[in-house]
Amino acid sequence: MIFSELADWLTDPANWTGHGGLLHRVAEHLRYTVIAVLGAAVVAVPLGLAVGHSGRGGTVVVGLANAMRALPTLGVITLLSLQLGILRVGPVLLGLGILAVPPILAGSYAGVQSVDRAVVDAAAGVGMTSWQRLWRVEVPIAMPLLLGGLRGAVLQVVATGTVAAYVGLGGLGRPLLDGLRVTDYPRVAGAAVVVAVLAVLLDLVLAAVQRQIVPRGLRLASRTVSGVA
Amino acid sequence: MIHDLVKYLSNPRNQDAVVHLLLVHIRLALVPLLIGLLAALPIGWAAQRYRRVRALVLGASNVLYTVPSLALFVILPSIIGTRILDELNVVVALALYTAALLVRPVVDALDALPAHVLAAATAVGYRPVRRFLTVELPLAVPVLAAGVRVASVSNISLVSVGALIGVGGLGQLFTEGFQNAYNPPIVVGIALTLALALVVDLLLVAGRSLLTPWQGQRAGRRRLVGAA
Amino acid sequence: MIEFRAVTKRFPDGTTAVDKLSLTAESGRITVLVGPSGCGKTTSLRMINRMIDPTDGTIFIDDLDVRTTDPAVLRRGIGYVIQQAGLFPHRTVLDNVATVPLLIGWGRRKARARAAELLEVVGLPAAMGARYPAQLSGGQQQRVGVARALAADPPVLLMDEPFSAVDPVVREGLQDELLRLQSELGKTVVFVTHDIDEAIKLGDTVAVLREGGRLAQFAPPDQLLAEPADDFVSSFVGRDRGYRRLSFVGSDGLAIHPLRTVALGEPAPPLDEWALAVDGAGRPRGWLPPSSTVDGPLTEDALRPGGSLYTKGGSLRGALDAALSSPSGYGVAVDQAGALVGGVVAGEVLALLRSHRDDS
Repeated sequence: MIFSELADWLTDPANWTGHGGLLHRVAEHLRYTVIAVLGAAVVAVPLGLAVGHSGRGGTVVVGLANAMRALPTLGVITLLSLQLGILRVGPVLLGLGILAVPPILAGSYAGVQSVDRAVVDAAAGVGMTSWQRLWRVEVPIAMPLLLGGLRGAVLQVVATGTVAAYVGLGGLGRPLLDGLRVTDYPRVAGAAVVVAVLAVLLDLVLAAVQRQIVPRGLRLASRTVSGVA
Repeated sequence: MIHDLVKYLSNPRNQDAVVHLLLVHIRLALVPLLIGLLAALPIGWAAQRYRRVRALVLGASNVLYTVPSLALFVILPSIIGTRILDELNVVVALALYTAALLVRPVVDALDALPAHVLAAATAVGYRPVRRFLTVELPLAVPVLAAGVRVASVSNISLVSVGALIGVGGLGQLFTEGFQNAYNPPIVVGIALTLALALVVDLLLVAGRSLLTPWQGQRAGRRRLVGAA
Repeated sequence: MIEFRAVTKRFPDGTTAVDKLSLTAESGRITVLVGPSGCGKTTSLRMINRMIDPTDGTIFIDDLDVRTTDPAVLRRGIGYVIQQAGLFPHRTVLDNVATVPLLIGWGRRKARARAAELLEVVGLPAAMGARYPAQLSGGQQQRVGVARALAADPPVLLMDEPFSAVDPVVREGLQDELLRLQSELGKTVVFVTHDIDEAIKLGDTVAVLREGGRLAQFAPPDQLLAEPADDFVSSFVGRDRGYRRLSFVGSDGLAIHPLRTVALGEPAPPLDEWALAVDGAGRPRGWLPPSSTVDGPLTEDALRPGGSLYTKGGSLRGALDAALSSPSGYGVAVDQAGALVGGVVAGEVLALLRSHRDDS
């Protein structure tokens, strides 16, 4: 297959519009991604923050995150689909959620742990309660690593979200798998390209968001550290 | 469920198939890991040394790492002339992916080397290549090991996702099970994937300890493998 | 007033960090805790604001047991300065200083106004308020740390080796700043250091602690130098304690002799003795050795650098050092403005010391 066929397929508006068109599939794919990542964040961010802040339970949490990383998403989703019923979104969201938890958990935990001990000491010393210490000092400083974890999670979920199509749902896996079945390689490659571009775009957007949210003082601090080397 | 599982596993044809898939999976995941690491070392070294190379390399590897590997599997054939399901195709794609992933840890590890140690090595009379191999690399092992551990888990997982487009390995147990609405192969596949990831991780930790005999056992907080 | 009553701290691994410590830090005074590492000085300090709780014994602040107050509330009424400053990197300098006022419920504007006042008090330009800690030098960060501790005007100030991480020149400046602040504000300060010279310079009373957390001596600095309680204290205080004690002896009665002077910029005939060169404002610029011939008007190139200057009315140590470090044998005495007053002689300093001892 040559690039011109791919280019033709990608530039044909018929492939983009309408039900089952690329725009539709991108929307579905994004929907799965957002729900899975948000769901994972709801669980993983508080857990990571709590464990990092209290300093207890770190080993358990680390072990848990590493074990979850090794779970094969395709296996989890197929198994859950067989148990709970095919064509249901639950198994896919759950499987993708499991995929998203480790980077978010790692990011929040590492973020809180990365706060300079002297700063934590000072925060206690000026008379902040535990809760105030967490939200006014530790979380803002943890932001870079926390957001980094979220970015990593989004990346992984977008990449693996093609699995949804395998168990009968939508997303960019649809044109990928359908194209394979009928050996329509431009469609397969086209879907692959769109997934890749989507991933890169999302990452850029999140990088910009990260730059906005991270307090200016922190960016200066890290630049000073790396500058001195 | 257990009954079905036992029945599945006691069939010698299934046993053969499972073992075969496991071996293919190991090959497809770990060969690129090695190649990627070997490629990342000189690239990372150059990037750490020369500022312009650094910006270029880190940017490129960032983009490469962001591209989903499934997409890479599909697009690569047009570039290097393989077919999608050729083992070579998968190995090249994953090797590129691993290299992109490991360049950053190589740079970070080399950045973190204390300048006075390097100065001492040069003053003693080591030339650059020898210094790199006998002083810088060994000291870079801990940071590198962390990166390699992340890459290994990642590769093992990616090979199984590849089953979607027909790539070999344990992923095929999932597709087979799903297509036949039959649980046992999926369960076996998940268990073996987990086991494989665990064994490889333990081997890497052991390898790291072997390569860094000067570092005692670290008591206290365990490091999280690859934040983000 | 801060009272330690038989305070002991034993850690779970068996080490005794503080062993039945009893002492009273007077209100409005600087009390220094000093000792080698492992003597429990930092642990003792941190028990005052309940960062650590004692195993035995009680600590009272103004007769109130510190354990009867909620730790967070207690700490808002105590200023706390640590070695690495611990400034919040994600907040501006101004917001860092305003932390405690904001915590106790002041409005944002009032807190920031107060913070701006304090920046001035610690000698930082107002513009620094908009910067972030990462943009400041170590010494500046320490000043911000002190400002933050003082923001809510707490009666008590705890300082844990606050100046140890900066270089000696900056350190001396910060020490002088602290003494100046104290003369204006009169806080009850408990100061921890491992540096005996810092302890002697800053402390109204000094507690020397030994390893294992036991109190070796608790006395004003010149008593520490004059009468160390045991071998440990005397060796900790150091070998030249006799000389350093002179910082505490006044110089009333020390004779000041007129000195031979020459003016800079005027021709200088050769003389048979040392002459001190002064500038237009009467400030000493150096010594002209005897029998020097100078062509034309006298410039600084022809001069030999002088020793340290003794400020009239200062301690005998200043006078002795000026005399010993001068190439001519006369220590140069100046007034508060730096203008020449006369010369002092080493032998007369020692004679004055002897007469003090004979009197007492």
